Amino acid sequence: MSKLAVDVMIAFRSLVQHRRRTLFLGTAIAAVTALLVLLNGLSTGVEETMIDTATTLSTGHVNVGGFFKVTAGQAAPVVTDYKRVIEVAKKTVPEMAFVVHRGRGWAKIVSDTGSMQMGVTGIDVRSEPKFASVLQLVSGKLDDLAQPGTILIFDNQAEKLGVKVGDAVTISAPTTRGTNNTVDVRVVAIAHSLGLLSTWNSFIPIDTLRKLYQFNQDSTGVVQIMLDRKDVDRKIPEISARLRQALEQAGWRVMPADPRAFWMKFQSVAREDWTGQKLDVTSWEDEISFMTWTLKALKGMSVVLIAILIAIIVIGIMNTMWIAIRERTREIGTLRAIGMHRREVLWMFLLESIMLGVFATVAGVTAGAAIAAGLNALHVHVPTGLQFFLMSPYLHISIHSSALVRSVVGITIVTAFAALYPSLRAARLRPVVAMSHFG
Amino acid sequence: MKLTKLTTSFTFAFALLASLLVHGRAHAALSTPEMVELLKAVDDRQKNNGDWRAGAYLEQKEKDKVDVVYETEYYRRSQDQKFMILFTKPKSSAGQGYLRIDKNLWFYDPSVGKWERRTERERIGGTNSRRSDFDESRLAEEYDPSDEGEEKLGAYTAQKLMLKGKAGIDLAFPVIRIWIDKATKNVLKRQEYALSGRLLRTSYYPKWKKVLSESKKADVWYPEEIRFYDEVEKANQTLVLIRAVDTHALPANLFTKAWLESKSR
Repeated sequence: MSKLAVDVMIAFRSLVQHRRRTLFLGTAIAAVTALLVLLNGLSTGVEETMIDTATTLSTGHVNVGGFFKVTAGQAAPVVTDYKRVIEVAKKTVPEMAFVVHRGRGWAKIVSDTGSMQMGVTGIDVRSEPKFASVLQLVSGKLDDLAQPGTILIFDNQAEKLGVKVGDAVTISAPTTRGTNNTVDVRVVAIAHSLGLLSTWNSFIPIDTLRKLYQFNQDSTGVVQIMLDRKDVDRKIPEISARLRQALEQAGWRVMPADPRAFWMKFQSVAREDWTGQKLDVTSWEDEISFMTWTLKALKGMSVVLIAILIAIIVIGIMNTMWIAIRERTREIGTLRAIGMHRREVLWMFLLESIMLGVFATVAGVTAGAAIAAGLNALHVHVPTGLQFFLMSPYLHISIHSSALVRSVVGITIVTAFAALYPSLRAARLRPVVAMSHFG
Repeated sequence: MKLTKLTTSFTFAFALLASLLVHGRAHAALSTPEMVELLKAVDDRQKNNGDWRAGAYLEQKEKDKVDVVYETEYYRRSQDQKFMILFTKPKSSAGQGYLRIDKNLWFYDPSVGKWERRTERERIGGTNSRRSDFDESRLAEEYDPSDEGEEKLGAYTAQKLMLKGKAGIDLAFPVIRIWIDKATKNVLKRQEYALSGRLLRTSYYPKWKKVLSESKKADVWYPEEIRFYDEVEKANQTLVLIRAVDTHALPANLFTKAWLESKSR
């Protein structure tokens, strides 16, 4: 039997021998690990929901939007000659999974009993592969949105406007030249609210939006480029820079990079003295920059909680190790007297902590993952106020295997680190003093 | 018996013909030059050919919302089509203002100390009134008229015209139906339509007043009261009262950003 195997055996037997202490400390470490897994899963879940919802409702992973100014003072979120923009994007971005284009507008929606100012997004629902997978319809049919003169709204909007599927509403907005216009549309679908992004957004067929704003067929609001999942985290800045350069080379005027949502740029664009078309390349993070603070707040809160939990583990382990060393002082003295080196005593205590850490964290991540799976399966409904920020009516905890491995390794290292100082003290004990210890 | 019947028929036919003739004379369609002249007359009555200063009280009523009231002063200079509105009340809006420089309308908010460029067709203070409602009338310049006959509006006999925006001119309302008092050439009622043809706003001008203008050397007419009714959101309406009109020359530096900013310091 190798020396390591003997050491592991001794450490294991020692843990078993002091089972009450092992169980107590192990349970505490497992509970903290499970909590860490859940917190991390919640944060990841919110982030994933945010990306999925945002990239379905209001942005692509990379967007080519921009403004068209008829006069220096009138800026409209319009991309003219959008088919050529798509051609350039297809050539420049091989990472592209698919591309869609949408119209952008801001209008007053008026029903018989109420009115709301909100964004109107013009879409071709038949060319939107992800749209149906994110929206949960309360009533109506999504396919009907392909018919001209129709609208999809969210349940909170339907409640405020006092409308149901089949009712007519009027959309009123000034055209890009400032002339008032209206279109009458029929509500064909009402979807579950998806929080902040759905509160001020509605969807109409793009041709209806063109009719409202008097755009021609070559104009749209934004070209949205969707990437493969693996490229979303790493490649967006590089793709944006590449696309910006390609569009400039193709003859377009491109606005300098500005990490804000397009609607936050109206004032600065209106102040500038230029007319015609300028394109703007943005990422999904830019377009929802006004709400990523929720994610940052959640992550910040998680970091604080994790730090507190780790401090508790460290104090707990150190304290327990002190007690163990005190109880086992004569044992240490005997081991030293029969020839065990100091570093071997240190290693023995460290190994015990590491083994305890491994067992407890594995149990912790298993419990955490099981709880997360249970909560996801239960479709826990979150309060309305929280839905606003979570962008989903249900709690979604996302657990990845890499996060579980990180939790096991991280907490085990913390456990070993916490045991290091008491173990060093144990190793430094003189055999004579240790053997004569009574306690 | 037969003769009596024949006489009755003749009498009826004659009466009908006479009535048609009289009716036809009363509703004789105006020619295009006549309609343009009428619009010019409407514009000229309101034109000052100089400086203009007046107070305007704006009251906005909206469904399920608290009434909004503004006191403003507005200034015009005919010579170079300058225009400015300064909000004086309520306290939260005091110092805010609109200023037109060339063809741009700017909005100033002293709470942020910034100027924002706005569309010329901006709703003033979010009410149903627009910049053009306070500016000089330019109907003949902006619209092509077509005759819609006469109509009685209460005690007034009004000439009803349908006005369509001229090509190349950006207008908030591309189509207007207007009722002009035949006796005074004052506007009594306006209906403004969207591009889609939907009626958006109806305005009533129940009171007109005149003031002697030194620059024009004649009377200038202005509506003392205007009532705007939102036809899309039926419950919304705006009342505008114009008072304290002064046509004396204004200081040269008045239509500047610096002057408007100085009013909130």
